[in-house]
Amino acid sequence: MSEQHSPRRPYLAPLTASWWLKHRYYRFYMLREATVLPLLFFCGCLIAGFYSLQQGEQSWLNWLSFMAQPWVMALNALTFAASLFHAKTFFELFPRVMPLLPAPLMIAGQWLGTIAVAALLLLLLGGVL
Amino acid sequence: MQILHTDIAIIGGGGAGLRAAIAAAQTDPNCKISLLSKVYPMRSHTVAAEGGAAAVTLQQDSLQAHFDDTVAGSDWLADQDVVDYFVSHAYEELVQLEHWGCPWSRRDDGSVQVRRFGGMKTERTWFAADKTGFHILHTLFQTSLQFANINRLDEFFVLDLLVVDQQIAGVLAMQLSTGELYQIQAKSVILATGGAGRVFHYNTNGGIVTGDGMALAYRHGVALRDMEFVQYHPTGLPGSGILITEASRGEGGILLNKDGYRYLQNYGLGPETPLGKPENKYMELGPRDKLSQAFWHEQQKGRTGNYGEHAVVYLDLRHLGSSYLNERLPFICELAKSYVNVDPAKAPIPIRPAVHYTMGGILTDGQCQTSIGGLYAIGECASVGLHGANRLGSNSLTELLVFGKVAGVAAVAHAKQRQALPSSALNAQCQQHHQQLQARFGAKQADRVASLRKAMTLAMEQGCGIYRTTEGMQQCLNTLQQLKQRYQQLAVSDNSKIFNYELLQHYELGFGLDVAEAMCASALARQESRGAHQRLDQGMQSRNDTDYLQHSIAQLMPETAGAAGGSAKISYQPVRITKSTPAARLYGGAATKQEPV
Amino acid sequence: MEKTVEKTLVIQRYNPEQDQRPSQQRYQVPFDNSTSVLDALLYIQQSLDPSLAFRWSCRMAICGSCSVMVNGIPKLGCKTFLREYSGDLLLEPLAHFATEKDLVSDMTLFLQHLQAVKPYLIRQEQSAATTPATKPQPHKQTPKQLAKYRKFSSCINCGLCYAACPQFGLNPEFLGPAALTLAQRYNLDNRDQGKAERMPQLNGKNGVWGCTFVGFCSDVCPKHLDPAAAVNQGKVASATDFVIGLFKP
Repeated sequence: MSEQHSPRRPYLAPLTASWWLKHRYYRFYMLREATVLPLLFFCGCLIAGFYSLQQGEQSWLNWLSFMAQPWVMALNALTFAASLFHAKTFFELFPRVMPLLPAPLMIAGQWLGTIAVAALLLLLLGGVL
Repeated sequence: MQILHTDIAIIGGGGAGLRAAIAAAQTDPNCKISLLSKVYPMRSHTVAAEGGAAAVTLQQDSLQAHFDDTVAGSDWLADQDVVDYFVSHAYEELVQLEHWGCPWSRRDDGSVQVRRFGGMKTERTWFAADKTGFHILHTLFQTSLQFANINRLDEFFVLDLLVVDQQIAGVLAMQLSTGELYQIQAKSVILATGGAGRVFHYNTNGGIVTGDGMALAYRHGVALRDMEFVQYHPTGLPGSGILITEASRGEGGILLNKDGYRYLQNYGLGPETPLGKPENKYMELGPRDKLSQAFWHEQQKGRTGNYGEHAVVYLDLRHLGSSYLNERLPFICELAKSYVNVDPAKAPIPIRPAVHYTMGGILTDGQCQTSIGGLYAIGECASVGLHGANRLGSNSLTELLVFGKVAGVAAVAHAKQRQALPSSALNAQCQQHHQQLQARFGAKQADRVASLRKAMTLAMEQGCGIYRTTEGMQQCLNTLQQLKQRYQQLAVSDNSKIFNYELLQHYELGFGLDVAEAMCASALARQESRGAHQRLDQGMQSRNDTDYLQHSIAQLMPETAGAAGGSAKISYQPVRITKSTPAARLYGGAATKQEPV
Repeated sequence: MEKTVEKTLVIQRYNPEQDQRPSQQRYQVPFDNSTSVLDALLYIQQSLDPSLAFRWSCRMAICGSCSVMVNGIPKLGCKTFLREYSGDLLLEPLAHFATEKDLVSDMTLFLQHLQAVKPYLIRQEQSAATTPATKPQPHKQTPKQLAKYRKFSSCINCGLCYAACPQFGLNPEFLGPAALTLAQRYNLDNRDQGKAERMPQLNGKNGVWGCTFVGFCSDVCPKHLDPAAAVNQGKVASATDFVIGLFKP
């Protein structure tokens, strides 16, 4: 078959860099993926905290005062909210990937697990502080 | 014009075409098979079959019983040797499909589940929920992908058969994506193009079911057999004609008239069976022709309801409960909600008969061979002799498989002992057709493909409906002949090459007109009532075995005065009767009285 | 049921024999409660403009032909009704596929991707059910075993999920939701023994890991078979396959 003579001329619309802005569903997806950004900030804070702890008391106190600034608090509050949001989407997707039990049961189980681990950590850390 | 060489060309990628392709590919791995389809194979109309496929399965069932049901269902117009072959090969074909992965519905122990179906004495219908055709088609399509020697030519539309000295030599096809013509030289050709339900206005069929293959063969002198027998499915949705499967009655659905009365008991199908306890061959599980005819009588008596402009009766499934409906009839629930805004668990579905199936088709022998050497026909486009005057639901899906395989194997054998034909004769034929094609283009006119098509489908609905009269059919035949003349002058205004659907539909209309005329002429000639062919004329209201226990044969006569493009000539051929002599066709309580159990 | 109310359909037209790029054309279409997008397209083709090209057949949402974008969302034309829209309707061919003409998309890639995952039952050994000595019998499969894959076997190959998948839009080599779902359908079938043959395709960069769980595919699927779930179940299978591979000699 001589394809080079084919009169076909399929038109492919290019996908622009802003493709994800065009649709509610894609924006939601990008928001979900973007929850990683504030989380990066929080991780930076955490690493800096460990580092300053190692550097001595003054350094640790500096870090504590840095952490107490309103904008840092606000950013970390955002991180917390973003992580909860991400957890929610993740917990809802998980039963579809590993359909072991009815979905509502698995979602509830994951939240219960999260609360239990968080409570345990708070208890342990609370004991240290 | 491109030229392709192949051993076997299969026209149509539905269930029959795919089964034939696989059979051929397995029989000879070196055989070159070209599978042409005007749509992607998984769009073929097999996809819309819902109910199931029949084969003797249960201990208490027998081949003889399946044979008897089929022959009685056909009103003794089936060829009994063919029915014999069919019932004895049905089971192995359904098992073969199981081995290819078809998701048949199951019993708790893992064996295959069977359900009741109209006109069948015992449960013997295999099913995959209510999407059996869909699953069969996709299983076959996916299975076919593993054979390297099946070369698919998707969206290729066949314009003509190439015939030299009563031997098939290939086909002339158009690739829709380019508009290019292809001369496909083949040693064997199998027609598997499906039915012609689209020549009627209200039908359950997809837009592609336009009788192409029947007309292709017909124009080359091959006879069309039993064309007057057109099945009305009793339960189509009003307006669209979308199919509501017979399985919904097999599962216990009941039919009510506008007064909520189960009217079928008035038409030789009673006594009334208790709600939720359907019995084979009683009431709602009577055969399709009887049920559609009962609707007609109810309509005459003013006992049908209205849905918009359409007269309807009601299919009541409410007593089955929503969880059972979702397990057994999920697609029906979806269709009813989408297209008539009814939740079958809460309200009855308005339904009315719609044209569903063409029992007749291209005349073949029991090996699917037509009168042209190397040309085979299978499935709904063919008349192998299985369905006679009325097809039983769930016999046709099995037919695709049983005879698809027969044709595939036969086509390989034929291709092996055939020499390629000289291409000079073929070139001339193709050139001539190419010129005819060019002549179709022209300026926009008052007549359009769509308007002629509508006139044809309405005429068929009027003249060749559930009940027929001499006057009505004669009028229909006159209209068809006028339309054929107008068709000769009808121009295609879009002269593009790529995906020119106006051109495609122009061809389809031409095919449809030929097939419609064969149907109408066959119907007019049969002066009796049998199966799906029912006449209201005096003296023709019952079966007449003395004169008409015969197949009708429609042949296209070359152009004569007054009939543009030729007209149909009707003759008769004996039915092959081996062991079941014609008897009264009884259902419901009347049948039980006949044969003491 | 008089069809007196009209609606405006804005349709993307493209004739490759004349046009450099697609343009839009407006049509007025009468409609009532039961008029689907497909009905409207047929009305236009039959009464206004026979040159309008689109695919269709069954009109009951099972053949998968009439896929189009309606106001930017992939839809089956026959299962989408004009009554569902308050304003004009914008109809375009499927996103992420090349357009052959008007609303007709080039489905070649889709077909190739389907074929790539070996979507058929593969048996390594002859089971008792298939030995030629006895009359062939069906394999056993309990309703529970059937339920494991049944949903994933209901794909009608309409391609809507590809038009919804940005990863396919960005990388046409990505096998995509329908093909990966079909692979999962056979991998989950207790009669199948071909998983090992399918995993290389699924493990590759154009396999399951090309999916980032946008999830839009499942939203647009007209048969609700949740292709996103199937693809991500494939990730679990692929990861398991990888770990097992580490411990194999």
